Amino acid sequence: MVTREDIENIALLSKLFVDEKDLDSLTEEMQKIVSFADTINSVEVKSGDFDNINNLSNAFRKDEVKESYPVGEILKNAPEQAEDHFLVRKRA
Amino acid sequence: MPPNRRRITSSSERERKMGQIKRIHEMLVNKEISCVELTKKYLEAIENSNKELNAYITVTPEVALAQAAKVDEKLAAGETIGLLEGVPMTLKDNISTKGIETTCASKILTGYKPIYDATVYELLQKEGVVMLGKTNMDEFAMGSSCETSYYGGAKNPHSLDHVAGGSSGGVASAVGGNLAVYGLGSDTGGSIRQPASFCGIVGLKPTYGAVSRYGLIAYASSFDQIGPITHDVEDAAIVFDAIAKYDERDSTSRGSEPALPTLDNDIRGKKIGIANQYLDGVREDVKEAVLQAAKVYEDMGAEIVYFDLPELKFALPVYYILAMAEASSNLGRYDGIRYGYKAEHYNGTHDMICRTRSEGFGKEVQRRILMGTYVLSAGYYDAYYKKAVNLRGAIVEAFDRAFMNVDVILAPTAPVTAFKSGYLFGEETDQLEQYLSDICTVPVNTAGLPAVSVPCGVDREGLPIGMQLIGKKFDEKTILNLAYRYEQAEHKTIETKWGVKL
Repeated sequence: MVTREDIENIALLSKLFVDEKDLDSLTEEMQKIVSFADTINSVEVKSGDFDNINNLSNAFRKDEVKESYPVGEILKNAPEQAEDHFLVRKRA
Repeated sequence: MPPNRRRITSSSERERKMGQIKRIHEMLVNKEISCVELTKKYLEAIENSNKELNAYITVTPEVALAQAAKVDEKLAAGETIGLLEGVPMTLKDNISTKGIETTCASKILTGYKPIYDATVYELLQKEGVVMLGKTNMDEFAMGSSCETSYYGGAKNPHSLDHVAGGSSGGVASAVGGNLAVYGLGSDTGGSIRQPASFCGIVGLKPTYGAVSRYGLIAYASSFDQIGPITHDVEDAAIVFDAIAKYDERDSTSRGSEPALPTLDNDIRGKKIGIANQYLDGVREDVKEAVLQAAKVYEDMGAEIVYFDLPELKFALPVYYILAMAEASSNLGRYDGIRYGYKAEHYNGTHDMICRTRSEGFGKEVQRRILMGTYVLSAGYYDAYYKKAVNLRGAIVEAFDRAFMNVDVILAPTAPVTAFKSGYLFGEETDQLEQYLSDICTVPVNTAGLPAVSVPCGVDREGLPIGMQLIGKKFDEKTILNLAYRYEQAEHKTIETKWGVKL
């Protein structure tokens, strides 16, 4: 059973604000999705732990030092920047 | 056999319908049109029709015309050009393009200009393509209608009252509406095949690992795969062969075998499986169209084998649990610090990140992040995430067993045809219902298999019906071979009134 408290807790973990007025409808929606997800618990799994979906082995590359992207280029996308760093103000 | 269908026995008896890419290639080589003129035609068509179709988020005329001019220079100098050279195309807006805004159709990425190109675009630039712009999609590829886009949904070129499908709805709308010759989309749970099916064109989801994901903005990393959306199967094979390469920047990539050389092979004796469970709950006319296609295959000498795949019934919850879990982790990077949208007013770092994410992500994205966080959190991890991972193994094994007896599996691409526009925002809309509509496409992603969607009919309203051929891992060439032979025998593609007429 998904509760309002569950939603508040996972919202905090997800770093999302949930509006007080949306809390009930969201709880209800999530309950529906969780019930749907619960259908998997009616099935027995015979196979053991499974963790390589595509049976792929890592396609390793050579361990060589290569030039990365210039700091200035990277910072162009930052909402705020100062002295070659990302800038985060305490408040705005 | 119905009297109106002629029996096809050998490939030499038939005249091949050339795909759009080869047609354009011939036009350019024979100097019927210059590449710049051709590109201008497409740009004009976008200008005229994009208001209605809403296929493009960003149009890039400068890039396209510069690329086209280079092709014309080569042609003027008498140099030979490749098949993809000078062919105008588009990229879904979650594929990174250096210096060109890449939004994932999300407010949180407005203004973001990647500093590098995705490997697929790098490969296509080497082929000399002309990139017209970036196309619309469901926000972060989360949706089946394109309507979760921050920019509004793309429309279906067959009917503006209907959606183009999703999540690669913009590519499908652009290609179906002749606003691009082809495009690259991404398919996490059906996002290439379903919109291709809704728009009456071809969509190929390659095997997981066939195409590099470097530069594809991640939704669910163990499912995501880039692939072509095209008019013709031949075009899909040409584009696939160009992008299915090992890339040292994606440790899951290995490339695949080329599909074009065997495209026209004889298909006599091929075993086509139909899983009974794939037809459960599928609308009657869609089911009939698919079974009719099976008859066409029989006429061409293939063998149809019915079998059971009971594991399909839990493929959908397994997919949603795992995809949302991966999404919640992947989308943790959007914090308003390094790129994209940042909240204007806040008090402290936690508050800034929460406000940025709550204001920047749309409802559906937030819902999936919350759900993904739920199944990964203490107390629920074993019951949901771990259980789903193990069940995923059972689904993989079930497909492996099926492919011991058949060469390919034939199934509907979607249980219905295109939804009515505004479906997502209707009073009665149940989110879960929309998730359930992905039932035919998600098993393929869950098992990492390749599949191609091909038009196989129309419904009463004139909306296209699609079928998919599912193949063994890294066996794109067989599904494309079978798809090509069907397309050449049946010609089920219906032209739309939009865009450039070649």
